[in-house]
Amino acid sequence: MKTKKISIWMIVAAVALMLAAPGSSTAGEVYKTALSLAITGPTSDAGNPYSKGAEDYFRYVNDMKLLGDDTIECTIRDDKYETAITKRNFEEFLDMGIVFYLNYSTGSTLALKRDFDEVKMPTLPASFHAGNIEGSDYIFLPIASYSAQNIGLAEYVVDHHEGGTPKVAMYVHPSAFGREPVKDIEKAIEAGLDIELVETVEHGQDLDVTAMIQRWRSKGVAYVISQTVQSPVATMLKGAKNMDLVAKHFGEKGKMTFLGAHYTGGNDLIALAGDAAENFFWTTSYIVTSEPGAGAEAQLALAQRYGRDEKTANSHNYANGIMVAQVTTEVIRRAKAKGKPVNKENLYQELLEMNGMNAFYPVTTVGPVTYSKDDHQGVDTLQLYVVDDGEFRAEGKPFISEYAEKIK
Amino acid sequence: MTYFFQLVVSGIVVGSIYALAAIGFVLIYKSSRVLNLAHGQLIAAGAYITYTLTVYCHIPIYVSFVLSMILTFFLAMSVERIFLRRLIGEPIISVIMVTIGLMSIIDGVIYLTPFGSENLSFPSFMPSQPVVFQGIYISYTQLAGVLITFLLIGVFSWFFRKSTVGISMRAVSDDQMASMSIGISVPRVFGLAWATAGLTAAAAGGILGNIVGLNFDTLHAFGIIVFPVVILGGLDSLPGAVVAGIIMGLIQQFASGYLDGNWGLSGTASLLPYIVLLVILLFKPHGLFGTHEIERV
Repeated sequence: MKTKKISIWMIVAAVALMLAAPGSSTAGEVYKTALSLAITGPTSDAGNPYSKGAEDYFRYVNDMKLLGDDTIECTIRDDKYETAITKRNFEEFLDMGIVFYLNYSTGSTLALKRDFDEVKMPTLPASFHAGNIEGSDYIFLPIASYSAQNIGLAEYVVDHHEGGTPKVAMYVHPSAFGREPVKDIEKAIEAGLDIELVETVEHGQDLDVTAMIQRWRSKGVAYVISQTVQSPVATMLKGAKNMDLVAKHFGEKGKMTFLGAHYTGGNDLIALAGDAAENFFWTTSYIVTSEPGAGAEAQLALAQRYGRDEKTANSHNYANGIMVAQVTTEVIRRAKAKGKPVNKENLYQELLEMNGMNAFYPVTTVGPVTYSKDDHQGVDTLQLYVVDDGEFRAEGKPFISEYAEKIK
Repeated sequence: MTYFFQLVVSGIVVGSIYALAAIGFVLIYKSSRVLNLAHGQLIAAGAYITYTLTVYCHIPIYVSFVLSMILTFFLAMSVERIFLRRLIGEPIISVIMVTIGLMSIIDGVIYLTPFGSENLSFPSFMPSQPVVFQGIYISYTQLAGVLITFLLIGVFSWFFRKSTVGISMRAVSDDQMASMSIGISVPRVFGLAWATAGLTAAAAGGILGNIVGLNFDTLHAFGIIVFPVVILGGLDSLPGAVVAGIIMGLIQQFASGYLDGNWGLSGTASLLPYIVLLVILLFKPHGLFGTHEIERV
């Protein structure tokens, strides 16, 4: 009897030891990734939902065991939009042994470009600045660059404008984020894009844009393409509406049609500009929840599952955050499926092979994510949206900018 | 000519909002010689209080606007009581450093609320069609902003010239020791200066929020943008703040209207006010209306 008791206890102890043993097969691997972004400070209106999107998707992957027993641990830190803090965060992340990194702003991505290459860290920023990937092997833009977005908008103007060469003004952020697309539009014009770029305005903290709008009117400007954030665009739209100069439909004669790239639009623009945002044309590669579809349903379900408020759930920057987490998860999944160790070298290789039959289709974007050695822009496809009765509605089919390819 | 007058009207609109925001700086500096670098945060706080009362408490926006001014009056008074009262008599630089700390604290508190990272706008309460006179446009929101600004400036001018408290504040500004010797409570005057600055900040925040929408970065940055106006006007002069505000507004609009977009120029509307400020300070180092203090050694 005593021997039997001892045997049972020995079995229990052996099982307990087996479960507690480090590296036991049932515990699963933990893959470390990190995200540094502006949860507070400038641009936190975008950074806040972005961080929630990434956080929720990684939680979902772990909760649903999408990687089996393995889990992703994503450390998210606020950098307050300060490059010095981003750099410090990144160095701490390296010490933690991350295998994939998600960055945020144009400034910090440009500043840390060499660091990413030096440590061979595959990096996805939230900035779609074309300059981020110039001379860098390890930075990958999630979607089409700002340049491609702005050129795409200009192409839409050319295709839908009636009579003569359309006169266009650009309203841009006074930084590399705003300036680079202007240079690329000028290159596209040299390559044959038939628009007349009448004027480029780098905005300040303007309270009244009457002078600017009147000047544009006197120069015959019919289209204004914005490459900045929502707040100055909202002020401009309110000013133009005040003077009854906002076109009620695309290209209305004697009025101005306003268009903008990714960070100018979304529900935040409508929140700021109110009904002055009506008929604003906006392009991005992300889906929006005001357009029914599988992507919108998935986004809303994820937000609901993790108790996010309605505003976050419907933010295109929430979709943006989900998407980069999806790409991260996908490269980890692919490396695992091939039996490769999940490390930064192999995840980098998986990104480079994400093309052709291996393209990745996240439901949060309007087209597939494709990367290769020569292509570091994820989703090349863009969708045009227009504000109709206080909501963004899809206008036409997804498209790829033709001149953005030509001027590469 | 219509274009010229449009720029004049727009310049006055922008300038009067600058003036209203600048008054808060002047009130505090005038009585305590302290530059409150957290004034932009008070402007933002005032705007968000108005929004909260209007949207969440369903109070009509006109009433919310007044209530917000009252609440911010007490908020700023409390800030002075808690953080700054004990620094009376300490070097001015210490007090200014405290206002920098205050800036971070208010930022942090606002970032803890949804307002810190959300874009919002006040519900429409004015006619959406602008007032048009001889081809010159001005929106009702802007018009209301100008009227409120001039009303408040008028009230403050009266207050400082005629009321006992206002005269006490001027006395403290001139000579603290002499003021104390005749029985004026200097701490009370400081508290009142902060409170009144809070009241003007709430008014500026409400007007700004209606014009540009509620974005925390934009609102609190306004405290810094308006700084050249305060320097140009002369730091301790209320009429100086008004005149400098309107000068800055006009310079910006004329630069935007006549320089930007011509001869390859861009962004002069943001730059020119600073150039003008530097040139004026070369000739009038105390600003246009600032007190020229002579120290005898």
